[in-house]
Amino acid sequence: MSDTRQDRITNHLTRPIIKTGRAYYGTLVLLVIAVIWGLIAYIVQLTRGLTVTGMNNNVAWGMYITNFVFFIGISHAGTLISAILRVSGAEWRRPITRVAEAITVFALVLGGIQILLDMGRPERALNVIFYGRLGSPLLWDVICISIYLLSSLFYLLLPLIPDMGILRDNPDIKGWRKEIYRLLSFGWDGNPEQKRRLEIAIGIMAIAIIPIAISVHSVVSWIFGMTIRPMWHTTILAPYFVVGAIFSGIAALILAMAIIRKVYKLEDYLKPIHFRFLGVLLITMTALWFYFTISEYLTAGYGGLSEEMHVLSAKLTGEFSGLFWFMVMSMTIAFIALVFFRSKHAIGATVIASIFIVIGMWIERYSIIVPTLTNYAVPSHEVRIYYPSWVEWSITIASFCGFVLLYFIFVKLFPIISIWEVEEAEEALGEKIEVIKDYMPGKTSATTES
Amino acid sequence: MDESRRSFLKGIGVAAAAAGLGCTFPLLRALASSGTPAAGVQTRQLCMVIDIEKCLNEDLIKDCTEACRIEHNLPGGESDPERQIRWMWTQKFEHTFPDQAHSLTPKELRGEQVPVMCNHCTNPACVKVCPTKATWKRESDGVVMMDMHRCIGCRYCVVGCPYGARSFNWHEPRPHIKNIRPEYPTRMRGVVEKCTFCAERLREGREPACVEAANRITEGAMTFGELSDPNSKVSALLKTTRTISRQNALGTGPNVYYIV
Ligand code: SF4
Ligand code: SF4
Repeated sequence: MSDTRQDRITNHLTRPIIKTGRAYYGTLVLLVIAVIWGLIAYIVQLTRGLTVTGMNNNVAWGMYITNFVFFIGISHAGTLISAILRVSGAEWRRPITRVAEAITVFALVLGGIQILLDMGRPERALNVIFYGRLGSPLLWDVICISIYLLSSLFYLLLPLIPDMGILRDNPDIKGWRKEIYRLLSFGWDGNPEQKRRLEIAIGIMAIAIIPIAISVHSVVSWIFGMTIRPMWHTTILAPYFVVGAIFSGIAALILAMAIIRKVYKLEDYLKPIHFRFLGVLLITMTALWFYFTISEYLTAGYGGLSEEMHVLSAKLTGEFSGLFWFMVMSMTIAFIALVFFRSKHAIGATVIASIFIVIGMWIERYSIIVPTLTNYAVPSHEVRIYYPSWVEWSITIASFCGFVLLYFIFVKLFPIISIWEVEEAEEALGEKIEVIKDYMPGKTSATTES
Repeated sequence: MDESRRSFLKGIGVAAAAAGLGCTFPLLRALASSGTPAAGVQTRQLCMVIDIEKCLNEDLIKDCTEACRIEHNLPGGESDPERQIRWMWTQKFEHTFPDQAHSLTPKELRGEQVPVMCNHCTNPACVKVCPTKATWKRESDGVVMMDMHRCIGCRYCVVGCPYGARSFNWHEPRPHIKNIRPEYPTRMRGVVEKCTFCAERLREGREPACVEAANRITEGAMTFGELSDPNSKVSALLKTTRTISRQNALGTGPNVYYIV
């Protein structure tokens, strides 16, 4: 009985790998075209210089750096959320951990690329390692993001090992794929000792990854926070960025889950209840986001330092007010959708909220970076508003398509829902009942005695 | 089973070791080569004193900026003022000293163009943030230097400097230099540059080009010298006249002073 159930799960979850539909290839071609278009734009930028962007000596950072902060933020979806859920033993995590962990790895890759895209002399990138100055926040980022990328890659691969074993033994898979699975299964045969060690390794990584993830978005914020520019140089920036990162990360996770469940017909695995639970997390993060935003803007506005007031009024009533209020409106809509419609339409409400949150958070990054740089306090010349050029737009769109493309390829090669973890849920059932019994009055057991 | 377990563990071990090595290398490199002169350590510091009133002279300003442009092979022909390569330029008094100007600032000053350049700050915001030490504060005389061959063009220093003193080469500069002066190197696209107090002239014991040009028109319009030397002309001026510097509250410690 249990065998057939397991077989059924394995069948469901490996189907996307074995069967490839026409729609898949169609989308793949579209994504590849978008990425190639971005590459062409980048070649134009390489041959003519950053003059093809809209940036100038005042607004010396623009869309690329916005994308960088945004992608690193999205990366918090995964590893951090899956780690927190694992550490806290939330059972409902089982089908969503891998969806999340894969987002992390690919978002980090794309985030890192944004910095390269922004550099005037990308061929000298390694100077950061050969002549690196530890005093520069940019170097803190290089260090923390490399550690985060490596450890989240490790954290993605670890729980993949048993699934790789399953796929390796699947008779329908042959050729180079089989080789990959054989390699990545690290000789897994599912004996209890291997299982025990794997659990320990995952447990350690899950705990280690939490401070790493938080450090990453803190140092990203410190790129701005450590300078003495108005509205950047504020102590709230690091926690504000971390909250924003987790916030947009969960939203991206919900969107990825919604697409995967539709496309691969995994409705039976990614259920409304998962969206509802993530929705609760999202409500918390929306509330926190509003709290931080109000705290930051009220403090700046009340204090009224002239330099900060220039930037603040540009955001609230000036050139950037359209963007700013669109962001506030997006978050408000998301909050309303989550609070009032989540229980009835779990998936619809969380997906709509997530779309607004992802867009809103990109705008938030933009309107933290660009208005401050527009330099109202000491205009060397005229105050001029930065508009991204077609090259920046093309590369940005291509980056997002590249992110989806990587994800697409990943889903084709690896089970996007952890087969063994879902299968193990049954075993966990018994344990959970024991644990719940422990909570109840009148019963003492080993875990409650001190 | 034993065999498979061993290779399983070995695989994980190798992966972890690779990850560890990968992260520690940049860390160690960085530790070995970090080091900015801490604030206050600087004992010698060159500085400039600019007499705003004496500089309210279009010919003088033109001569100074032109001297700088020719001296350092600065490209011209950029119509976008925010894309120009400028080591020395002028901007309105109230923009240069936003904390000094008020609604009744005398009309001799309001709207007038004040010469500005890199302040060779005592605590330079640009040096602090540069990831590669491509810009650094020279210990021998406090000049903030620039290495165009090391700069990666991240523009963090441009963003970090609160005075707008740094220019990025958005496009290839060479075709836009009128007459290339072979004695001074040209730059390539994609790197940042700025005023160096004419480091190449200082080496020969000469004054910066702008100072020379300005004083040719009005003696005392710009004075250059050693701040730490009590007998220098600049210290005498700073002791006896009323001077201000740009955005002093920022803590950068600018070393270009203005007589008001
Ligand atoms: S004025 Fe700007 S570029 Fe010059 S030393 Fe100060 S911070 Fe650096
Ligand atoms: S642009 Fe060049 S000088 Fe400026 S911070 Fe980057 S590497 Fe340093």
